[in-house]
Amino acid sequence: MKKKQTNLIIFLVLAGILVVFYITGESYYEGLTGKSNQEEANSEVYRYKYDMIVDSPDSSFWQAVYGCAQEWAKKNDAILELQESSNDNDYTKLDYMNMSIASSVDGIILQYNGEQGLEAKINEAVQKGIPVVTVMGDAVHSKRQSFVGVSDYQLGSAYGEKVAEYVTKDTESILILLKKNIDDMNQSQIYTQISNAAQAKAGDSQSIQVTGKNLLSTGIFETEEAVTDIFQQKDKVPDILVCMDEDTTECARQAVLDFNLAGKVTIIGYYSSDDILTAVEKGVISVTCDVDTEQLGRYSIEALTEYQKDGRTNSYYNVDINFLDREAVRAMRREAQPK
Amino acid sequence: MKQIRWRDFSLVSKIIIEVGMIAILLFSMNMLFYARINNSMQRMDNVYASNTELTELSQIFEKVQDNMYSYLKVKSSQALLDYYQNEAKYRDQLEKLNEENIDDSVKLLERNIRKMSETYLDCTAETVAAKRGRNVEKYKRKYDETTKLYSYIQSSIEELNNLMFQENSNTYSVLRAVMRYLEVSNTIIMLGIVAGGMVLLFQVTRKMFVPLSNMAETAQLVGQGNFHVKMHDTDAQDELGMVTRAFNTMVENLDLYITRTKASMEKEQQMMERELLMENHLKEAQLKYLQSQINPHFLFNSLNAGAQLAMMEDAEQTGIFVEKMADFFRYNVKKGQEDATLGEELEAVDNYIYILNVRFAGDIHFNKDVDESLENVRVPSMILQPVVENAVNHGIRDIEWEGKIHLTVTGDADYIRISVKDNGKGMTPEQIESVLSGNKEHCNEQSDSTGIGMNNVISRLELYYEESGLVEINSDGENKGTEVVIYIPV
Repeated sequence: MKKKQTNLIIFLVLAGILVVFYITGESYYEGLTGKSNQEEANSEVYRYKYDMIVDSPDSSFWQAVYGCAQEWAKKNDAILELQESSNDNDYTKLDYMNMSIASSVDGIILQYNGEQGLEAKINEAVQKGIPVVTVMGDAVHSKRQSFVGVSDYQLGSAYGEKVAEYVTKDTESILILLKKNIDDMNQSQIYTQISNAAQAKAGDSQSIQVTGKNLLSTGIFETEEAVTDIFQQKDKVPDILVCMDEDTTECARQAVLDFNLAGKVTIIGYYSSDDILTAVEKGVISVTCDVDTEQLGRYSIEALTEYQKDGRTNSYYNVDINFLDREAVRAMRREAQPK
Repeated sequence: MKQIRWRDFSLVSKIIIEVGMIAILLFSMNMLFYARINNSMQRMDNVYASNTELTELSQIFEKVQDNMYSYLKVKSSQALLDYYQNEAKYRDQLEKLNEENIDDSVKLLERNIRKMSETYLDCTAETVAAKRGRNVEKYKRKYDETTKLYSYIQSSIEELNNLMFQENSNTYSVLRAVMRYLEVSNTIIMLGIVAGGMVLLFQVTRKMFVPLSNMAETAQLVGQGNFHVKMHDTDAQDELGMVTRAFNTMVENLDLYITRTKASMEKEQQMMERELLMENHLKEAQLKYLQSQINPHFLFNSLNAGAQLAMMEDAEQTGIFVEKMADFFRYNVKKGQEDATLGEELEAVDNYIYILNVRFAGDIHFNKDVDESLENVRVPSMILQPVVENAVNHGIRDIEWEGKIHLTVTGDADYIRISVKDNGKGMTPEQIESVLSGNKEHCNEQSDSTGIGMNNVISRLELYYEESGLVEINSDGENKGTEVVIYIPV
């Protein structure tokens, strides 16, 4: 009788183990196969779809902006797509605009850079009921709904101030690297502001050559080539190099290190990526301009949302900028460290 | 209703039920596994279905563009027809694409393709309409537009295809992992079931056959003669239960039979003993009976002779005669029931002859030749006197010549030879045969005899020594005398 019971117990335990094993296997199996389905099921449907068209979407600056903007978009029942070509096809902003218009999105966030025909495209989109918000670069003459960023005047005066700080009596030349299609550099607010500020600092006795260089539409890898070119002509190396975007700043930093010109060339950079901040800390880059990416992203979405809701929006959203020098970066790092 | 108990099933049923249950379990698990694997296989089959669909979409899309182009080029109605057909097809295909704003790169791309395609189709429709309306400037412009859109859409489809392929590849590898997992888990579960089943089968089967091995042990004990061992009683209705009960009954009966046989054998022994005893008694009775056959006539005759002698002379001779008579009868009475020594027998013969010689006035010439060393041998009583009496009565009485009787007693290692020889009438071989076989009994004249015939002597000798052929009668024929020889075993 006892034997019988132990048999039964052994059998039950065995059966139990098998059942447990089977159930876990089944759930594992379900978990594996059902994963993709579940993801789809969890995907929320949003009311609006916005496109974001920028120069170098892979840069950490724009990734940061996109991150903030998407967060805000989702809060406002919208989805934001960053237009970037994952294929090798080399689409211009015009192509992206065409695509966005053709796919009838509910709004476009565009980094305007003066590319030919882009203003017309903005107008076409607006005509078709698609609001366009320009960021960082404004298409003043287009029908764009709003501009989010720092105005050229504001940016120019801020940079001018900084440049002036670094102008000494030995300063002979200043080079400003821009990515803007401006026929006449003298018409650029940034150029004018910096130039004016430098001259004012130097005084009448000293003549400083302020040059502006447009790096737009130079194609892939050509930013780096252009920057390297500047440093290769040794007698033409500027005393102060002003970089107006992230890519250029990083190229300049690398060129300074490569040509062993650290300390000889003052670089005034743009954006606060990790590499750039490290360079500032090491003194390779003297100071960098930090644009509030969060504000940039948020305001862009706000502008579009407001337009969708009310049919109109502010035509100008101002984004804060500040400059980070070695001290500021160290302070920032110190602040970040205990956390 | 009678309760159905496990132990009442027959062995065959039990084993079939157990093996069957395990087989069913294995079968069902197998079916389950089969279903699972089949399910996975189906999923695997469908993994790249989306890619196929998308490629199809792309092909139709290409046809739309080609048809439009050829219509613009040649303006053939066939091209227009094809264009409309493919356009409708393409629209149908588009319906399958997502059009919602969903935070998923694939879905979003689908939406873009769908929306762009819609724009594209509107554009192609306008282009075709412009061509039909011969608005050259417009259809050219529109064609450029559609071509641009076409390239966007194609590249988007390509991108989507890539994305999907990536996703599907992931799904595929997941499914592969699942298949591997299934393989392993199925194998383990199967092994578990097989092992468990074996253990269970072993346990149950062993339990089933435990009574058998017990029985074998018990049978061995029984074989050694121990009938008091027994199997545990069971009420199971299976073969083993029946065998157990039959075995118990068999052991019980075996015990019973052996006891019975023992008792009957004892009884038989007793009976045999009694029979033997009875035979003895019978022998004794026979002996007594035979001894009591002595004819009383002789006594009266002798007593008459004594009386005559006493009348003739009142003398010594009568005294001797009467004494001899007395001796003879005393011996007769005394030894009638037991054996005697050969010497005593011889004395009785002497007395008898004396008495006869008195009666017949010395007509009988009797002499004897005895090995005296044999006189103490014990023999049955009253064997010599009847033989001598026979020799007198049937041998030498009424013969013309002088009758003589010669008695010799000799001995060797095995037998004592007693010979009584007369020179009387002799006997034919038929007579000898008749006497020896005892048939002559009835012609025994009861007139002048001691009552003990030859037959009696032979019978008593044979009974006493339990041996036949102890008496021999030799005669050379009529008037040539007779010799009766008695062999006494030493």
